[in-house]
Amino acid sequence: MRWHPTALNVSLLTLAGWALFLGVVTGRPDLIVVAVPLVVALAAGRRTSRPPTLRVGRDVSTDRVFEDERVTVTYTLRAEVDVPLVELLEALPPRTHVEAGRHHAFFRLRAGEEVAWAFTLRCSGRQRLRLGGPHLRFWGALGLAAAEARYRAPQTVAVYPHLTPVRYPPRPLRTQTFVGNHVSPAQGEGIEPGDIRPFAPGDHVRHVNWRATLRLGTLHVTQYHRERNADVVLLLDTLSEMGAPGATVVDAAVRGAATLAAAYLGRKDRVGLIEYGGQLRWVRPGSGRAQLQRVLDTLLDASVVFTYVTRDLELIPRRILPPQALVVALSPLLDARFVRAAGDLTARGFDVVVIAVSPVEAVRAAVPASPAADLAARLWALERRAELDAHRRRGLTVVDWDGVSPLDAALLAAQRPRLRRARVR
Amino acid sequence: MTRLAAAVLLLVLVAFPLAVLPLAPVTWLAGAALGVGGVGVALQSVGIVTTGAALAVIAYALGLVIAHPAPDPLTAGALGATLVVLLAVVHLGGRVQGAALGAGVMAGQARQWAGVVAAGVLAASVITLGGTALGPVLRGRTLPVVVAAAALGVLLAGGGVFALVTAREDAAAGDRA
Repeated sequence: MRWHPTALNVSLLTLAGWALFLGVVTGRPDLIVVAVPLVVALAAGRRTSRPPTLRVGRDVSTDRVFEDERVTVTYTLRAEVDVPLVELLEALPPRTHVEAGRHHAFFRLRAGEEVAWAFTLRCSGRQRLRLGGPHLRFWGALGLAAAEARYRAPQTVAVYPHLTPVRYPPRPLRTQTFVGNHVSPAQGEGIEPGDIRPFAPGDHVRHVNWRATLRLGTLHVTQYHRERNADVVLLLDTLSEMGAPGATVVDAAVRGAATLAAAYLGRKDRVGLIEYGGQLRWVRPGSGRAQLQRVLDTLLDASVVFTYVTRDLELIPRRILPPQALVVALSPLLDARFVRAAGDLTARGFDVVVIAVSPVEAVRAAVPASPAADLAARLWALERRAELDAHRRRGLTVVDWDGVSPLDAALLAAQRPRLRRARVR
Repeated sequence: MTRLAAAVLLLVLVAFPLAVLPLAPVTWLAGAALGVGGVGVALQSVGIVTTGAALAVIAYALGLVIAHPAPDPLTAGALGATLVVLLAVVHLGGRVQGAALGAGVMAGQARQWAGVVAAGVLAASVITLGGTALGPVLRGRTLPVVVAAAALGVLLAGGGVFALVTAREDAAAGDRA
């Protein structure tokens, strides 16, 4: 770290030069005297000692937040010698705003003095927020010299996509063997009434259906459907994206995937994730809070990676894509490779639901408003609606989602029938 | 706050030439200095303020040439001190704009400015007294002696300024900033 003269030296020199020059030209001693304080200031600004040192400590309130949540960063500065003026600036990562305090500060510290500097950041997009540490600039007398340094202590804060509650996630057609919240076609212990059959030895008395017994004259019992869990695999399309940074269709799809993962895991289902794009990444199906953390961590890095290599879903092991699984694909359906992959999965007997994230809204928000843009957006929306209808005719279950409104509203409009409902006639 | 202080200092600066000769063309130059300096203060630009201040110095020199008053080192020293503080205030204002200021920052800066101004005024007084003392000695000397002394002075001043601007001091930098 070394002292550097600042541009203020040039200003003082200029004025001193003018005063001296005019003094010599006019022969007026007053003008020579005018230059004296300027030259004295230049001399006072000269730094011969080494720049002061500071001990910097940092504390970040949390290392995991969701979008639009706050992170408080606190720096503690301790001076070993007198520091007349020190400037600190923490460079803000993209899509981050200062909510409280300032990320740029000036302090004056005496030897041994300690001050705390805190500011609160609001993170408005999923990312790994990297706080590199503040830039420090020590100022000499009158700001005529400056010495710069950097406190390097990189720290990452994970900003996860915002989770919204979902009451109506796509219902799986097939269930697994463990206890869950989905009504299984299989009969057994449960609370969802199924068929009615004549009483047999070993049946519980509490299962006797007295109404049917009275009508039919013999003892009848009510059978119940078992409640079982399901395997759900979220298939995220990262082959293409559109929209402004932080508000692309991939961001919307990631938000939807995170929301669905939380909803299914909350219903005791096993949830897996496959990122289908330039890189093929996956998370093995699992359940519980740890699995949600794994899925969110994977979603955090989901992005479009350009490659000439086209990977096939057949490469994915069976344990990642179980045969009985419900596959929820989140895609803008812009890339024919993804449409083909979803069609292949349907043809292979998978229960596939495609949540088509509309790119129209994302692009519309990214371009300046104009009548031509409005017209183009409307035409695009019509064209897209026709494409989705064509996919539906080919057997794909497609849910249209604009990526902006709550996912639950789109899912409610595309409610699937229950697995099976027995009726007493 | 720093803008207001700089605006007041600019008004004081412009008042110096007007106090010497409140007539055209000094008023024109002082007006131009006020306008340019005002823009610089509003934009917190040291460069523009320097231009305005240079115009004020030229206006002061013009006033002295036209009015031919008796030498007044006190006023001249005050003008030089005003120039220093004006530039320092504008420079600080541009740096601290939008930043959080810790306790004692502005007070510490004000103390610094006061110290430098006091040293400047003291130096100006010493030089004035020295000049007053040397004046009778140099009076009547031949022109080559004066020119040689002036050239030596210019050389020394130039060398000193060069040394001031280019002086750097290395220091170790570790995990401490």
